Amino acid sequence: MELLDRYLQAIRRHLPWRRQDDIIAELRANLEAQLEDKQTELGRKLTDAEMEAWVKQLGSPLQVAARYQPQQYLIGPALFPTYRFVLRLAFGWCAVIYTIAKTVEIVANGLSLEAWVGALAQLPWVLFINAAVVTLIFAILERSGVKLPEPSAQGAAMGTDWPQGVVSPFDARLDERKKPKTYAQAVIEVIAGWIVLGWLLLVPHYPFLLMGPGAIYLKVTPFQLAPVWWTFYWCVVVLSALELAWHIVDLLRDRWQGPHRVQHLVKLVLGLVPLLVVLAAPGRALVVLKNPTDAAHVALLAQINNGIYRGFEVIAAIVFLQLVWMAGRMSLEAYRRRLAAQ
Amino acid sequence: MTLAENLFENLRLELRRGCLTLAVLAQLRQEHYGYTLRKALAARGMEIDENTLYPLLRRLEAQGLLTSEWREEDKRNKRFYRLSTDGKEIFTRLLKEWNDINTAITNLL
Repeated sequence: MELLDRYLQAIRRHLPWRRQDDIIAELRANLEAQLEDKQTELGRKLTDAEMEAWVKQLGSPLQVAARYQPQQYLIGPALFPTYRFVLRLAFGWCAVIYTIAKTVEIVANGLSLEAWVGALAQLPWVLFINAAVVTLIFAILERSGVKLPEPSAQGAAMGTDWPQGVVSPFDARLDERKKPKTYAQAVIEVIAGWIVLGWLLLVPHYPFLLMGPGAIYLKVTPFQLAPVWWTFYWCVVVLSALELAWHIVDLLRDRWQGPHRVQHLVKLVLGLVPLLVVLAAPGRALVVLKNPTDAAHVALLAQINNGIYRGFEVIAAIVFLQLVWMAGRMSLEAYRRRLAAQ
Repeated sequence: MTLAENLFENLRLELRRGCLTLAVLAQLRQEHYGYTLRKALAARGMEIDENTLYPLLRRLEAQGLLTSEWREEDKRNKRFYRLSTDGKEIFTRLLKEWNDINTAITNLL
């Protein structure tokens, strides 16, 4: 019995502490009954060697205890497909954002090969941290037993509405995009448009709505925004108002359902306007000194202006590429439709 | 173990996994404690390793399919399990599923 006691003690060490006593008591009752049966069968007690062989055959304490652990994996099969999807998404976006941010930083600080190599060498580490954070979040979700709702397109790829073997995940996403908007979605768009417009109009009076607690720096910093930002601001307000008006007209004319690719294209074209306004700022002066004679901050001012300007150049380039891509796709679709009609 | 044997073993275990639950639920229509349950299953041709059976009982209880109580028997405290109300319902449904699969496989053969 002493060997069995030691065996159970060894198992106990690897059990979840809250259930240790309960599990060990049950295991002891079962194993003792088993042992008694064996002894009855043999008509005598087990020898030390036989006892040792029997205990060995029961399995190592670590393995026995592991079976009682509630969870054997970090991210289980139910969450794993979503985890993989989110990880891939996070990897992609992280790489894109990192590339843009580093490009702007390097261009602003003067192009140097050393900086490029450094940025490239840092990328795997950044991606690793990103993956670690995503994994940690999903491990917590797994442990807390949270059931994630499947995103619609992803749901098609993972869930029950997947038409087996017919549609690829890429096609499923296209179908999702082409799906007509519901009336409720159109109404929500209008309400959201009003809220955004109201928010935009309040921002000049309450800068914290845009910058949060950082708005305090506007008061204490020796810099202020150049007048060109007012032009930029009113461009954005007008564009938001136009978009809202477009949504309202669609709603009133019962045309909210269709996928408005033309509308999106026009939005992209108009979206370039405020960007171009900033890029056309005289002397690239986007930030100016509150006190024009403040010589101590002139060098820093030049750096800030250069950084912001480069950032806007990158954003404008992205919007332009998006525009070209969309225009190209529309042309191709129109060509295909014409071919099909012939 | 050869690759084929390894593959067979994996498939066999996969096939057995669901059947074990059904067998345990079937046997626990009558009350048992761990060891007698194991013996009863073995006597009917369903051998289950103790390291599989005892944790399985706890999982099924946590899922609400079994109820248990500690009771003294033969001067020893033992934990006795039996099907809960939910367990009975699930067992009936699983049994139907099992019979359907069995019929389908028989038809295929």
